[in-house]
Amino acid sequence: MTRGSRFRNFAVGSPMLWIAVFVVVPYLIVVLFSFLTRDPEDIVSWTFTLENYRDIFSPVFLKVCRNSLVLALGTTALTLLLAYPFAYILTRIDENIRRFLLVLMIIPFWTSSLIRTYALIILFKANGLLNTFLLSTGLISEPLSILYTETAVFIGLVYTLLPFMILPLYASLLKLDRRLMEAARDLGATSRHVFFHIVLPLTLPGIIAGSTMVFLPALGLFYIPDLLGGARSMLIGNFIKNQFLTTSHWPLGSAASVVLTLLMVMLLVWFFISTRRAHSGDMEAVR
Amino acid sequence: MKKVLVLFLAFFLPLGVFAADREVYVFNWSQYIDPAVLELFQKETGIEVKYSTFESNEAMFAKLKILKKNGYDVAFPSNYFVERMSRLGMLKPLDRTKLPNMKNLNQGLLDKPYDPDNAYSVPYLWGSSAIGVNAKVVDPAAVTSWDDLWNPAYKGKVLLMDDVRDVFAMSLRSLGYSGNETDPARIKEAYEKLLKLKPSVKVFNSDSPKQPFLNNEVVIGQIWGGEVYQANEENPDIRYIYPKEGATFWADNMVIPASARNMDHAHAFIDFMCRPGIAKMNCEYVGYATSNAKAQEMLDEKTRNHKAVYPDKADLDRGEFQTDVGDAIMTYEKYWELLKTQ
Repeated sequence: MTRGSRFRNFAVGSPMLWIAVFVVVPYLIVVLFSFLTRDPEDIVSWTFTLENYRDIFSPVFLKVCRNSLVLALGTTALTLLLAYPFAYILTRIDENIRRFLLVLMIIPFWTSSLIRTYALIILFKANGLLNTFLLSTGLISEPLSILYTETAVFIGLVYTLLPFMILPLYASLLKLDRRLMEAARDLGATSRHVFFHIVLPLTLPGIIAGSTMVFLPALGLFYIPDLLGGARSMLIGNFIKNQFLTTSHWPLGSAASVVLTLLMVMLLVWFFISTRRAHSGDMEAVR
Repeated sequence: MKKVLVLFLAFFLPLGVFAADREVYVFNWSQYIDPAVLELFQKETGIEVKYSTFESNEAMFAKLKILKKNGYDVAFPSNYFVERMSRLGMLKPLDRTKLPNMKNLNQGLLDKPYDPDNAYSVPYLWGSSAIGVNAKVVDPAAVTSWDDLWNPAYKGKVLLMDDVRDVFAMSLRSLGYSGNETDPARIKEAYEKLLKLKPSVKVFNSDSPKQPFLNNEVVIGQIWGGEVYQANEENPDIRYIYPKEGATFWADNMVIPASARNMDHAHAFIDFMCRPGIAKMNCEYVGYATSNAKAQEMLDEKTRNHKAVYPDKADLDRGEFQTDVGDAIMTYEKYWELLKTQ
């Protein structure tokens, strides 16, 4: 064996081993537990059952899923609306400013997102920075109620996940062939036409990638809605946590995790299929 | 080379055996002891403390369940877990003759329903959850009952704990039932009463309920006594009221798991923790109320007399400790999910 291939085996093998031991094996245990029976005397009882999957599709769980989906979809749509113009402008400005802006976007990652969520509380609370400022300028006479509302939840989620939308969009917009837009203009297309018929289809892979990177975490996140929204509703994350920590129903919690994972896998498959379609559309556009 | 090895073994082996003999394995909540206490114990008894921590009763329970032998000598479950673990045979009975310092404890905290006659557990730190109000907005004298949370005047300004048992205990008590009810009909009744409160609730929070009070987001709600004590350093207007139906009490306790290695060391450690000076160090370090009456007397007057931390005997007797409700927890959780998804 040559040194090069030994290195290659090591470089590929060690992360694979890491993932196998700390991701695949624990996940297989989750899948196994989801087919076992709750036992208040022990962690689980080793009796095979499908009951957990039957129980999980209760009206309450469907409502919990709906809450999570609405929140995740809303966050994705908002981040897309904010990120697209930003990423577009980013590709058109001076390289030095661009680099500076990209660094600014990465800086928040140096702090834990939990800490940053607490910082948002300080900003939004009734006697917080924003209200104190607005009251002192006389723009409002009563403190605005922002904290513990849906608005606060969306602000928190969008703020935390925005970079995950901007970066793929930026990469995708950077690759955009300017000549195609110039050609369209020469042929008399309006700006709207250029955008909807050239730019948007060509950056579709970026949009899909960004949306996936925002949607999937938004589906599982529950500490941001809890902290900023006041925990008045229940999300999939809360539901799973309660099965493990309140009712000691590890099998039901495992089944809920499996359902959540399947939901995400389905979305990923859809993502791959639509990216491939977008890519072939790409080729047609060039032809 | 061989000679060196033999010498090495001769020198270190007995020491190793000796060390293994003089150890106590302690399993506690994180940030829940003054580290200096562990050093003092080691210095005095020569027993080395092997210390590990956990973040939730459930995690501790799971770990103790898996360890069949050579486990921990002392663990610190909360009251309702003491009951569950003793019922499941996961605890060893205590030998009171080896715990002379238990005489220092607050007698009002002993012999509770979760562990009659303290056969398995010794209370360590404890506290209560009752009603908090912001005296700037709400007249504390006018609030006497859990029912006052339902007052429409406080709509949108109420805080509840984000904990199924705490919230239901409050509703059940206000209906005149026990907070440890297992009758599904009564739990349902408590749920229906909570449904009427839900529109008034601004936030569910049990991580740090003092924060929404300090942020002026809520004016009345459930809160831990210890949180009120801390909040008062920033805002003296946050008051603590023991409702006439009684507050909910909790205690974290020292127990000896069935998988303990050394009963003598476990007892020695628990007894050491019951010394007034040691208990005082721990309660000052952690910031919760000590179960040690002698240690309480040694605290400064302001802390010792703060009613939120150390209630009168009447308030303590009127209150209730949470017990394990067994499978009824499934009923609680079902209604909790319904309440949260409304």
